[in-house]
Amino acid sequence: MEYTEKIIRQSQYWYNDGLKKAQIKDISGAILSLRRSLKYNHKNIEARNLLGLVYYERGEVAEGLVEWIISKNLGTSDNIAGYFIKEVQKSAEQLEAINEAVKCYNQSLTFCRQGSEDMAILQLKKALDVHPSFLKAYQLLALIYIHKGQCSKARPLIKEARKLDTTNVQTLRLMHELSVKHEQKNRSKEEKGSEVVEYNLGNDTIIQPKYTGVKKVSVKSAFLNLIFGVVAGALIVWFLIVPAVQTFKNDRSNKQMIGYGEQINSLKSQISAQTRALDQYRKNEKDVVENLETAAGTAESYEKLMTANDQWKAGNYAAENLAQVLLGIKKDSLQDTGKTLYDRIASDVFPVASSTLYSSGNESYDAANYDTAIRNYNLTVKMYEDYDNGGALLNLGLALLKSGDKEQATTKFKRVIELYPNTDKAKQAQAGLDFISSGKGAIEDLKRAGEVIQSQESWTQNDENYDEEGMYTEEGVQTTEYEDGNYNSSIEE
Amino acid sequence: MLDFEQELKKFKPSLEVEDIEDAVYQEDMSDMTDLIKEIINHTK
Repeated sequence: MEYTEKIIRQSQYWYNDGLKKAQIKDISGAILSLRRSLKYNHKNIEARNLLGLVYYERGEVAEGLVEWIISKNLGTSDNIAGYFIKEVQKSAEQLEAINEAVKCYNQSLTFCRQGSEDMAILQLKKALDVHPSFLKAYQLLALIYIHKGQCSKARPLIKEARKLDTTNVQTLRLMHELSVKHEQKNRSKEEKGSEVVEYNLGNDTIIQPKYTGVKKVSVKSAFLNLIFGVVAGALIVWFLIVPAVQTFKNDRSNKQMIGYGEQINSLKSQISAQTRALDQYRKNEKDVVENLETAAGTAESYEKLMTANDQWKAGNYAAENLAQVLLGIKKDSLQDTGKTLYDRIASDVFPVASSTLYSSGNESYDAANYDTAIRNYNLTVKMYEDYDNGGALLNLGLALLKSGDKEQATTKFKRVIELYPNTDKAKQAQAGLDFISSGKGAIEDLKRAGEVIQSQESWTQNDENYDEEGMYTEEGVQTTEYEDGNYNSSIEE
Repeated sequence: MLDFEQELKKFKPSLEVEDIEDAVYQEDMSDMTDLIKEIINHTK
């Protein structure tokens, strides 16, 4: 039968074609060719065995077993299908694991159709872990990743699928889809100016910025950054560093000030000690000087006393001159003996001298010779402050007033009022004070005490028994006694 | 662009070990010879 031979030959032809394809890992092409071969001749054992083998190669173990079982049942004694079946049945655990993987794949298909793609991914990963040559699982998982936009995860799966079956249409379609998406992504990146690099490292996808070598920095932004940096630096310096430096300087200055203060205090204490010592020396010196002066004064006083004593003993003296000598003696510097002598001489000389000096003072006052009047009144007051019941003091004040020394005059008037209150002389003194203070009255109206006294009393000047000096010249002995502020003249016959 | 649903339809469930027996029995064993015989019979 020609047809039979042709059919057999055609079957062989397609078997050979399948074999060639199988040898170059074109599993899909091999399956098609072998199926065609079996369509021509279903008893082509070799084609069926090879078909089972190629099914087994791309992970479809059950499909392979089916072909081998059919091949074995078609009966020939030296059928290699029996060997294949035995080999598969030998590792029951592996067969069981492959069966589980197939079940996971079928389950994942169900999940995908239900929309639970995440669950499908889990199942497919599980299946591929157990059965790493399962082509359909790779393809389905890659499809899911591409659908979710995770092209980087799909790429390695498609690579593995291509290793298993180089011309599988499904795999090629997925590859094409990936390349299209990749191009789209690159285009959008170029448009955006993105500078990232994406690559896979094992199961991870690394996306990192692309290193361009030279960064594009605009001049404006660089300038602004520079300005900002300068301002920030200046602020940091102003608010952090300057206060710290200032504080440090202040501390140093304060410490120096404290040191200087301590030095000053020390010097002050030294100075005060030196000052105290100096004061002490000065005081001592003053005491010494005073002592010297006192000693000198004492010596001078004794000399004057001796001179006065000599003149007094000699009897040849003018009373007022001797009185002035006595007034020049510092009585306090004399010892008791000297004081006794001084008193004796003074008691004899002062009454006469005071009378003479008072009279001449009045005359000088009347003659407007106030300087002389002041001198004489002064000496009189020195001898007897209460001479003429304050008349000498009053006249001295008037003479001072008329000479222009209001201050001294005031002092004298006040003394008169103090010593002789409610007397005529006090009234005259008050009149003098009034004139000084308010200008009340006229200075000419201020009468001296001597004017009043002269009209009422008769002093020795108007009495023919007394000479000009108040010494009694006639019979009897003139005795002038000073008692209780009054001079009592009496003539003892 | 791939249509996920359309592509998914192309994926058929894989044969499990428990289904091998059924698959063997359901295998279409007819070939060209059988077809020619049928044609000859028809022509007769």
